[in-house]
Amino acid sequence: MTAHALEEALALLRRRGAVSAVLALSLAVPMSLAGFTISLGLWARPLVALERQTAVVRVLLHPQMDAEQRQDWLAKQARIHPGWHLTEVKQETLEERLKLWFPYLEDLLAGENPVELPTLVEVEAGDPEEVSALAKGPAVIAVGPTSSVDRILGLMARRAGWILSGISVVLLASAFLLAGTWIHLEVYRHADEITIMRLVGATEGAIRSPFLIAALIPGICAGLAASVGAWYLVALVGTLVEAMGLTPPVCPPWLPAAEIAVGMILPAAAAVVTMARHARAGETE
Amino acid sequence: MIRLRNLTKTYDGRRILRGIDLKVEPGEFLFLTGASGAGKSTLLKLLYAAERPSEGGVWVAGQRVDQMSRKQLAILRRKIGVIFQDFKLLRHKTVLENVRFVLRFHGLGAREAHRRAYQVLKRLGLHHRQSALPEVLSGGEQQRVAIARALAYQPRLILADEPTGNLDADLAGELLSLLCDINYQGATIIVATHDHALLEAMPARTLVLNQGRIEYDGSWPP
Repeated sequence: MTAHALEEALALLRRRGAVSAVLALSLAVPMSLAGFTISLGLWARPLVALERQTAVVRVLLHPQMDAEQRQDWLAKQARIHPGWHLTEVKQETLEERLKLWFPYLEDLLAGENPVELPTLVEVEAGDPEEVSALAKGPAVIAVGPTSSVDRILGLMARRAGWILSGISVVLLASAFLLAGTWIHLEVYRHADEITIMRLVGATEGAIRSPFLIAALIPGICAGLAASVGAWYLVALVGTLVEAMGLTPPVCPPWLPAAEIAVGMILPAAAAVVTMARHARAGETE
Repeated sequence: MIRLRNLTKTYDGRRILRGIDLKVEPGEFLFLTGASGAGKSTLLKLLYAAERPSEGGVWVAGQRVDQMSRKQLAILRRKIGVIFQDFKLLRHKTVLENVRFVLRFHGLGAREAHRRAYQVLKRLGLHHRQSALPEVLSGGEQQRVAIARALAYQPRLILADEPTGNLDADLAGELLSLLCDINYQGATIIVATHDHALLEAMPARTLVLNQGRIEYDGSWPP
């Protein structure tokens, strides 16, 4: 039966060679673009990790708080935010840190009359934006910058990753629709033949398998072409990125296998769905 | 072999068959005749489940056909050889392939299917046209290909819808003789025809349908 299905599928492809080639190419284009975006996404992944790194935010406490009040405040924050790590900056480095993180205090620090320096607490937190909420409390007079270049870069990379993933999904969905439309047209083009096959005792498996195989073959070709296309696009972008002195993106080693698998799965799934719908439509035949 | 009970078929409110009760024994040869629109083709279609009855039931080889799943139908249809009035040949396949592909469904290997398809075509005098596509064949030749396809797997039940409609008198006689041989070997045969010459040439049980009802059941002429 498999040999028969293969025989029939090859006959089908021979008759519709040009259309099958167009299908393979049409599938290859969105699939290679999807491969390209996936490669770029993987390349940008270390940047995304920067965004997830914990950030240290500096918090300036009210100078009139005594040691006991400060300890109470620190203990309270540690209790409310178990994920935070709070450290009070030691007196030896306090002035230097204050100048670095709160430059607007420089005039006050450089004044002739020595002033009592406020307490500086460094808060290591997963989400620095949460720390900035402390500024609303009476114990805190200022909160330092919550973002760093790394974090912004990571955030941008993450957003770019989402956009690239979205584009990949849209491209793959369009490839699926394309394959589905092709199979749909082929099945309805052969509707009479399918009806005759049913009437002479062909099982649904015997009817469907040639179409399935005929869809798989251009799918495999599309997968191979998509791998080459993705590799070419990544290499092209890699040359530009390298010229900028950055590590160029590369296609992951599993990409060709994934492209071929997707090339097989998309038309096969489309074929199964279309054939099942066609079988339901011709229930009495 | 075949049992019909209170079989009724309605299309758009129009009754094509009205409460048909019929029993056909294994190995029987039966003619179905009647004017155009009497319900001959519909009755045959109900037997191989290309149509479902509006009322009543159809039993073939002890199985209720009208309630079968698609898989069960496929198995049953492999036991039935149908000669369609409109031939139903696959237009992309050659004469030989049209006969061979059915044999492949029956589980025969490529070589055996090829050999048997050629044999049947030779028996029907079509072996010299084995590589031709149906579209270049005459009506009579196409009909013979359809007959070859129905006979190729030696079914136990043959349903023929106007099998001599496109054949000349000699070929019609040859076909009838072939069907008689097959019937003699034990196959049940039902032929729907309005060709009275055919009915006269073969003494067999004849069913006359008129406006969807059995008007006569017996030997021909009534």
